[in-house]
Amino acid sequence: MLTLYADSNYVWGLIFIPTGDDEGHVEHIYREKTDRRILRKNPWRDYRLHLTVLGLVFIAEMIGTITIPIAKNVAITIMPLIYTIILGLVFYLAKPIKWIQRKQARIAEGAMMLFIGVLIAKLAVSSGQSINLIFDMGPALILQELGHLATILVLPIALLLGFKKESIGMTNSIGREPNVAVVVDKYGFNSPQSRGVFAIFIIGTVIGTIFISFLVTLSLSFLPLHPYAFAMASGVGSASMNAAAIGPTLAAFPGLETSIEAFAGFSNLLSFCIGIYIVIFIAIPLTEKLYNWLEPKIGRDPIVQKKEDE
Amino acid sequence: MPDLIDGSENVSVHGILNWIILLVIFSIITVIGNYIGYKHPMTDSLVGMGILSLITLVGVWLERELPFNVSSILYISIIGIVLAFPGMPTSKFVLHYVSKVELLSIVTVFLAYVGIGMGKSWDEFKALGWRAIVITILVIAATYYGAAIVAHIVLVATGVPAV
Repeated sequence: MLTLYADSNYVWGLIFIPTGDDEGHVEHIYREKTDRRILRKNPWRDYRLHLTVLGLVFIAEMIGTITIPIAKNVAITIMPLIYTIILGLVFYLAKPIKWIQRKQARIAEGAMMLFIGVLIAKLAVSSGQSINLIFDMGPALILQELGHLATILVLPIALLLGFKKESIGMTNSIGREPNVAVVVDKYGFNSPQSRGVFAIFIIGTVIGTIFISFLVTLSLSFLPLHPYAFAMASGVGSASMNAAAIGPTLAAFPGLETSIEAFAGFSNLLSFCIGIYIVIFIAIPLTEKLYNWLEPKIGRDPIVQKKEDE
Repeated sequence: MPDLIDGSENVSVHGILNWIILLVIFSIITVIGNYIGYKHPMTDSLVGMGILSLITLVGVWLERELPFNVSSILYISIIGIVLAFPGMPTSKFVLHYVSKVELLSIVTVFLAYVGIGMGKSWDEFKALGWRAIVITILVIAATYYGAAIVAHIVLVATGVPAV
């Protein structure tokens, strides 16, 4: 598990994380890793990696968006962004492709950290353009951050599946980088709570973007919610999941692109600025209370395998 | 915990050059994708990507140079918002060119790097059981629906018309 954390995936830095005196610098881990990969090596020299990405993008954009109707008024939209993420993973895993290996994955990860900035800049420009709209929608934007507390509702299911204290780490938040840092900071690196959040982090890394893209696509067909509500909800606090969630939302409401980008970007920014405090001061205490109350009632025999303890 | 060094070292010229070259590579790939997918003229979108790259560069540089413990995300967001602010002398220029770069073109390229990068987590992913996968899926869905439903209720309650 130690190497797992050191190898942690694409990374957002942290905004104003209060750290204990002795435990400090958790928030620097990601930046350090990126700096080592980008600043001290020459990541651009791996031209085959970038040519591969160009090839993937070319294929994806040529195929374009595919819409599969599955019922009346319900359709699944598969966008180029899904092709590139899946093809990227396939290229890494496929044995015959020798030029995309662990080393290239590390470079891709480091480069990605920088490219998040471009994504954020684009969203920020849309936000600046629509700043009046954002002020008008202020209450909704801020209150929807509290909606993320809904993850705690998953705690009983985690207990029924046999998780113990891991469930506190698993269900207090969406389990991305800032949340991992908060949980590790609070419970310690080798605690069951940290194991739980690591598990969510790894699985979220691998299936999160793809899953949320389909979730959003289906929700857009099924749920009669306000377009702005969909836009705000896509700011879940993860760059790639935010990106994957905006795609179908933009496609579903043509003509509203700028406002949707503005809300999605601003809501993601809020998730980073105040979302972290909601996790520290509300979500974690609430999850613990619920755990202490429910665990004696519905807790099962522990099922956590030994290999996860490593 | 391994790999734990406090890293407020100053960024060398060599490092900044690496950032610039990477951003140029990213811009070129995005512009090509943007052209294939949306037929936006390449020169305009290249200027747009240039602006976005510059904002990014200043943001990541400020994160490392300024003494505050603040993520570059915040700097980049503030710079982007201020440059595009209605009434700012820069806003017309910035909006014209940046609007030529579709968000989805950026996302498509970005997620290609994400896909390759996440391959590294594949073995760890396989080692985790189905129970953890179920919980992850439910947690992501809960976050999304929680925010969407609260936002919808507040929007309806404050009388924002459905567009």
